[in-house]
Amino acid sequence: MNDPHGDAGAATCTASHEGAHDDFQLLRRIGQRDEDAMAAFYREHHGVVLAQVLLVTGERVLAEEIVQDTMLAVWRGAGTFRGESSVRSWVIAIARRQTRDRLRGRRLQVVDDAFLADQPGPGPGPEAMALDRAELAEVTRAIRELAAAHREVLGLVFGSGLTLPEVAGVLDIPVGTVKSRLTAARAALTRTLNEEGRNR
Amino acid sequence: MNADHAETRSPHLDLEDLIAEAAGRPAGDRARAHLARCGQCRAEAGRWNLVAAGVRGLAAAALETASPGAFSPGTVSPAPSPGAGQPAGPRSARHRVLAGSRPRTMLAAAAAVLVLLGGAGYWAAASLTGNPPGAVLTAVGGCTGLKLASGTLEPVHGRRLVIRTASGRPVTVATTASTRVSVAGALLRDITDGAPVIVLGPRSGSAIAAATVTLGPPPGGNGNGTLRLTPPPGWAAARGTVQDASAAGFTVLTPGGSRIPVSTTRDTNVFVPDARLGQLQAGVTTVALGHARPDGTLTAIGVLQQPAGSPFHAQFNAIRGCSPATVAGALAAALKSAG
Repeated sequence: MNDPHGDAGAATCTASHEGAHDDFQLLRRIGQRDEDAMAAFYREHHGVVLAQVLLVTGERVLAEEIVQDTMLAVWRGAGTFRGESSVRSWVIAIARRQTRDRLRGRRLQVVDDAFLADQPGPGPGPEAMALDRAELAEVTRAIRELAAAHREVLGLVFGSGLTLPEVAGVLDIPVGTVKSRLTAARAALTRTLNEEGRNR
Repeated sequence: MNADHAETRSPHLDLEDLIAEAAGRPAGDRARAHLARCGQCRAEAGRWNLVAAGVRGLAAAALETASPGAFSPGTVSPAPSPGAGQPAGPRSARHRVLAGSRPRTMLAAAAAVLVLLGGAGYWAAASLTGNPPGAVLTAVGGCTGLKLASGTLEPVHGRRLVIRTASGRPVTVATTASTRVSVAGALLRDITDGAPVIVLGPRSGSAIAAATVTLGPPPGGNGNGTLRLTPPPGWAAARGTVQDASAAGFTVLTPGGSRIPVSTTRDTNVFVPDARLGQLQAGVTTVALGHARPDGTLTAIGVLQQPAGSPFHAQFNAIRGCSPATVAGALAAALKSAG
């Protein structure tokens, strides 16, 4: 994202990924067992992947382990990358599978489609008003309280900076379903904000 | 954009356009033009922007508390693993290769130090140190999402403030009903009859020559007389309400019914911990603490203003987390009186 004040802190994880060509080259070199390339790849993607995984898991140690496993998978599987997606969405897809595996071991689900399917869109009205009234800090807190599935789709779009088609690729669902999940996530967020507002 | 198909579909931007806008991706010319003229879409974009900013805040906080580490594939078997690009298979022994030091570089750029004058007052004002040249928003250690802007306040119009930094760059600061505004200075005109007040200064017979006057209930105090003041030798403190306010001073009516004369001068420093926006003065050094928004503005949690050369300083070196309660607590701590 653009940061007119050069504030790199928040921009780190939101910048649209412009080094696609470099990423392809890095992956090619990683496929040839180039450790320097792997280190560069790690530096380039570690932060975004970690933020996304942490958003879903909520556990830093676990998230770091998942990122390490993800990078290990990249090291082993770089040669299998076929260039059918952006490198970033590819590595995030790997991280998502790693996360799913870890959470499945705890009998947790990253995404529960049945849960998401019936969530209504916010549309105009009271739910939109909840966001209009909300402060950023309240929104941030409310996002923390969302279901993992909601945090995940929001993180992919706004944290990892993937396009909707890329998110669709990562989640292996149609773009239209990504949109409905986003809408459902926002609806859940506004409900949380409303509940918090009533509790204050 | 649906505006291209206005005959059959909604004339407004569709979700993909709004998401792209909130995600910071360049919008097409038609989308931008529509956004410029459609208040409904601007409002909807603003809502998505807020959601996006919330996600980014969480992500930034996550990155701050995590170490960048390093990946060293040298500890990994060089043999390619079939299907490694789809690493959903059984997990074998893992190679933990996180290496490198984990020090966090805490940008302690803004400073605001609370100096407790003789343990009695709770003068607080902001003094900035360590701003990198040209920086506009400064990070606050402990919460990446939290930023600080400092400089000279431009004339105030409405709820938006403009702080011009030392490098001459303007920062727009949005305030809300919950933004805490504190001001310090020679604000003698703000001492009016009926105002709750704490006075501290040298004794002058049965009167006090006010060095500091704090208006309003003390932060952290309960206002019912439990605040204990311990002035230094030769000084006196009084708490109560203002009566007979004039250019030369006023009388403090204490909870016990005593009347204590107070004299003021141009050197009397007045501190208003919970001030109104209208009490902020243009041209005075001002610090705003809050959350940066995608458009570069700052949504302020707190605004502190002090005159140049004020002896009072407070410090926000670091905050232990990004939760609203934590931030509010840190802000309150900077203003809290010595009890």
